[in-house]
Amino acid sequence: MAVNIQSDGGSNSQVPEVSRRQLVNYLLGFSLVATAVGVLTPVIGYLWPPGRPSGGGGGRAQVGTTDDFPVGQGKVVPVNDKPVIVVNTPQGGLKAFSAICTHLGCITEWDQTRQFILCPCHDGRFNAITGAVVSGPPPAPLPQLALQVEGDAVYVSEG
Amino acid sequence: MGARKSMVLRVWDWLEGRYQVRSMMEGLLHVEIPRTARTYYFGGLTLFFFMVQAITGILLAIYYQPTPEAAYGSILFIMNQVNFGWLIRSIHAWSANLMIIYCVFHLLRVFFQAAYKPPRELTWVVGVLLLLLTLGFGFTGYLLPWDQRAYWATTVGSEAAGALPLVGEKLLVFLRGGTTVTARTLSRFFGTHVLVLPLAFAGVLLVHLVLLHVQGLADPTRKVGAKAVPEMGAGSTAKAGPQKRVGLLPFFPNYVLDEFIAWYVMLAVLIILVSLRPVGLAEPADPLVTPEHIKPEWYFLFVYQFFKVVPRVVGVLVPIIGGFLLLLLPFLDRNPHAEPRRRPFAIIAGVVTVIVIVAFSIWGLLS
Repeated sequence: MAVNIQSDGGSNSQVPEVSRRQLVNYLLGFSLVATAVGVLTPVIGYLWPPGRPSGGGGGRAQVGTTDDFPVGQGKVVPVNDKPVIVVNTPQGGLKAFSAICTHLGCITEWDQTRQFILCPCHDGRFNAITGAVVSGPPPAPLPQLALQVEGDAVYVSEG
Repeated sequence: MGARKSMVLRVWDWLEGRYQVRSMMEGLLHVEIPRTARTYYFGGLTLFFFMVQAITGILLAIYYQPTPEAAYGSILFIMNQVNFGWLIRSIHAWSANLMIIYCVFHLLRVFFQAAYKPPRELTWVVGVLLLLLTLGFGFTGYLLPWDQRAYWATTVGSEAAGALPLVGEKLLVFLRGGTTVTARTLSRFFGTHVLVLPLAFAGVLLVHLVLLHVQGLADPTRKVGAKAVPEMGAGSTAKAGPQKRVGLLPFFPNYVLDEFIAWYVMLAVLIILVSLRPVGLAEPADPLVTPEHIKPEWYFLFVYQFFKVVPRVVGVLVPIIGGFLLLLLPFLDRNPHAEPRRRPFAIIAGVVTVIVIVAFSIWGLLS
């Protein structure tokens, strides 16, 4: 630092001395930095994506009726703007999974003939009962979502 | 400290060895301006507000959606959801007004100090073009929030173009992208506001600054025939001898420091204005309901009021002719004198014009 340490005559005490020029330089530097921070804070804050508006999202949504999901079939439905795959297998019954492939984010689809969930991008395959990876590059199973049947209405809860 | 400094110097030397940065900077900064020059920093402050507009405009464009269905909602989103969104939008709106104010102040200063006279005719012409482009920014930007005020001010404002003889109707359709203000109007106003005008403005501004740099500031006290004080900016240091430099002041650091302080003050003014009077939003645009007392922004009020008291053709032609006269002023005013008392006609004409415009604006505001 540019702070002068000068010994004061015969005494042993050392007094740090800042010249006027240095003081003015510090004040000027502080002002400039303060201005920069004052300007950049709102700019960076503004660029930072805002959270989702409260209300509407995060709850459960009706995705159809039981007639829409016959046994042996599955389809992708939106739940609060997020893709969810609902499948109905003879062994597992109605199940809902996030339709976003855990590999690189493609949207999975229902493979009717082979009865599993398929990612069309890199041929990742998921078990239709557990969501576990059967084959291919996906590193993790598809997250399962809560599904309720009330009367004939099918509800899926997000998260 | 020392090591850091030498690092900076090394980078500087690296650049200097390749691009002659030092001579370039010296050429830009080490010019001299007449000690008698009184600019009041109007031009520089206009530049400052333009830069504020560019930055905040880019930020707004990140969230703004230019369709009638989404525009209003996206502005609401910016105001209510985005961090500091209200601040950025309010700064953009306030800075736009201040930019126009300072642009006009700058023009009046140059007019009353006769700085538009030879050899600076083109600087004036280019400067008037910048004012017109600034007004274009104001007109096109006003529609973008797509609220009732924006929609109807644009409808009325663009309707004025339809009053032009012969080409009016075609021009109106061209402006709006159809016969009425619709989604097409919004998208072409948006495109003009964020692409066409900024590019045009930046190009014309560059010419303005180059001309200013080459010729320097005018001396408002200069007398015809007298050459005691060299006026030229760039190159003046090379030519001017010691005795000639008495009336000159270094541009850097003297003038630059003053200008910088003026920018700082204006930044504070801007923050105060924005904090005390943040910009709001009217009801969403409804093409079927015209709100009462719809008026344009203050800088178009005099045209608006003029339109109300004269026939439509006169109302549209007079501002256009006035604009051309303003543009060509240096070539129309052949009086070589700079001192106000030696050019009474120009001074009186200027004062009367200002009074008439202010009076019509106040009239329009109160009517």
